[in-house]
Amino acid sequence: MLIVDKEGILIRYNVKMEKSMTPEEAAAELYPKDELYRAIAEAIFEGEEDDVIEGLEAAIAAGKEPIALIDDALMVGMKVVTDLYDQGIIFLPNVMMSADAMLEGIEFCKAESGASPETKGKIVVHVAEGDVHDIGKSIVAALLRAAGYEVVDLGRDCPVDEVIEAVKKEKPMMLTGTALMTTTMYAFKEVNDRLVEGGLSLPFACGGGAVNQDFVSTYSLGVYGEEAADAPKMADAILKGATIADLRAKFHNH
Amino acid sequence: MAINRFTTMAYSEADEMVFGRAKKPVKAGLDLEIGAGYTTAEVNYAPRPEAGETKEKLVNEYQRITKDIMARMVQVGFPSVVLETEHVQQMTNHPEWGAAVAHAQKTIMEEYHEEYGIKCALRHTPGDVRETKEFLALRGDKMAVVMESFEQVAESGADLLSIESMGGKEVFDYAVLRNDVPGMLYAIGCLGTMDMDYLWQEIAKVAQQKGVTAAGDTDCAQANTAMFIAGGLLDKNLAHTLAIIARTLAAPRSLAAYEAGAIGPGKDCGYENIIVKAISGMPMSFEGKTSTCAHSDVMGNLIMQCCDLWSNESVEYHGEFGGTTVQCWSESLNYDCALMNTALKSGNEKILRDLLMASDRFRDPQSYILAYDNAYKVGQAIVKDGNDIYLRAKNAATECCNILNTSTGLEMTKFELGALAKATAELEALTAESETFMSDCMAKYKAEVPVFKPENYAL
Repeated sequence: MLIVDKEGILIRYNVKMEKSMTPEEAAAELYPKDELYRAIAEAIFEGEEDDVIEGLEAAIAAGKEPIALIDDALMVGMKVVTDLYDQGIIFLPNVMMSADAMLEGIEFCKAESGASPETKGKIVVHVAEGDVHDIGKSIVAALLRAAGYEVVDLGRDCPVDEVIEAVKKEKPMMLTGTALMTTTMYAFKEVNDRLVEGGLSLPFACGGGAVNQDFVSTYSLGVYGEEAADAPKMADAILKGATIADLRAKFHNH
Repeated sequence: MAINRFTTMAYSEADEMVFGRAKKPVKAGLDLEIGAGYTTAEVNYAPRPEAGETKEKLVNEYQRITKDIMARMVQVGFPSVVLETEHVQQMTNHPEWGAAVAHAQKTIMEEYHEEYGIKCALRHTPGDVRETKEFLALRGDKMAVVMESFEQVAESGADLLSIESMGGKEVFDYAVLRNDVPGMLYAIGCLGTMDMDYLWQEIAKVAQQKGVTAAGDTDCAQANTAMFIAGGLLDKNLAHTLAIIARTLAAPRSLAAYEAGAIGPGKDCGYENIIVKAISGMPMSFEGKTSTCAHSDVMGNLIMQCCDLWSNESVEYHGEFGGTTVQCWSESLNYDCALMNTALKSGNEKILRDLLMASDRFRDPQSYILAYDNAYKVGQAIVKDGNDIYLRAKNAATECCNILNTSTGLEMTKFELGALAKATAELEALTAESETFMSDCMAKYKAEVPVFKPENYAL
């Protein structure tokens, strides 16, 4: 059998470029100083749901307001996670597990206070009609929730009518659509046309599988997202006043 | 059809495996023999989206595609070709649509065969439409639709029957996003195999009744999902060590088709097919550098090492400078096949195989494991407990970890090594008892995955 040294044949750029700092060391630099908040943030980073609840109980027992803990501890812990993900220090499954823990923590705080927290904004997500591949949508939804947005999840194989009704009812700041197949992504165009006909104008972020920038550029509300992680970045940009044209300028890279 | 588990390897050693030759060649279609001493291109394509509006438009589109490919084959002088039509959902949900397409394509292929003598075969791959908006619905009315589709395409000209089945995907999607290796094992190795057993016995029955070939499946829904999420070297969505564990779990799962009556050639996007070929001796289709029109991978040369059919995965039908996409890609595939066939004819096949393998061996943990020598070792681990679907999947993943943990020449990142260490420990901690594992997982995932319906697996 022929074995050839890889020198000059390939480069493992991921090994070459790897950060020297471990995820735990990087996270430790970002945790809040307050001991009560720090314990919660650490539990979020570890994705340990039981420890999150334990930390919240301790903070409430120490006099912290349950609803304030969402912003002061849970979201701070989640931001550590998403920042490290953006920097390429941790991987997506860590974000998913942390998001699970954060959502459980939010439910706990809501139950304790009897009130609902304010979110950064509402976003409707769906998978194109005729398409049942929803792992991309699940990732988008988790990343948006992790970034503090309220997500209305219409699920997979979502009829165009249902998308239009949801936009009318929920009045979201952004709509997302994911699709795996070229044959189903055409539903996005129909969603776009129906929104425009109805006088509804909002960024319609589309991505996944065979979806590409050329296609998304053919309808007026469309903004192409190459990666799931683009979704919260688009939402943040909208909060700062970005228009569809601005979003296209920023996220259409090809 | 009965289930006959593999408990031995088809090849006595890894070095015996080469491209273009399988222990059990398959005759199919119009004078084609697959794995009988030569490789053949397998061309894949997708209609333009607007073609799906009506049956007539769709049939016309596939006629254009088929004519384009066959014309290019004879223009450049290639001796054989396989066409694979992966159904758009309309073609499976309305079986008469799929049948009309198969008939139209086969008519054109017969004309070319008659006029030029080109050896060819038509594979049809109905979509796995066994699901509702919310849940997988693997048994019942949707299964009947899929089987009706198989029957109709088989009657109308399809020579090779395949599917990319979805069993286990609801649990896998949950597990893979949480670094949950036991969950991946349960999803692919156990649930996936159980559905394959059920589905492929029925497909093999149809193939036997209609006189066509039950070809094979791929774990596209799970192992390829892991590979795509893992992405390139700089992506941070899944450790590549976990992606290759998912791939090795897929080997015993895809093997189940051949235990239920399929005879090959396996489906192109099953990168696990190298392990399946080592165990079954059946011919396999692969895709790599010539499927970049559909997706990227990190083993474009290596995966060609032991192919019998060489595929481009899928390309949307439209114009390019060099002709239509199907013409361009079918030509590229066939030049690769011409090179492999030259190597076979001149006795240089092992040299070319090794050059292909060596050029990607250290590119990634995925390519390292799928190098034919390591893939063979994973196969041996599978057949050791071939009769126990849990243990053989666990063995595959464990052997994958062992090979990576003792690798030489492969550089891995701290992330990849960390994920590997965690997976190794989790696999070591698993029970040796199938029943215990199955019942523990059933309770866990029923509680954690709302869309998991055990009745899909007769559980």
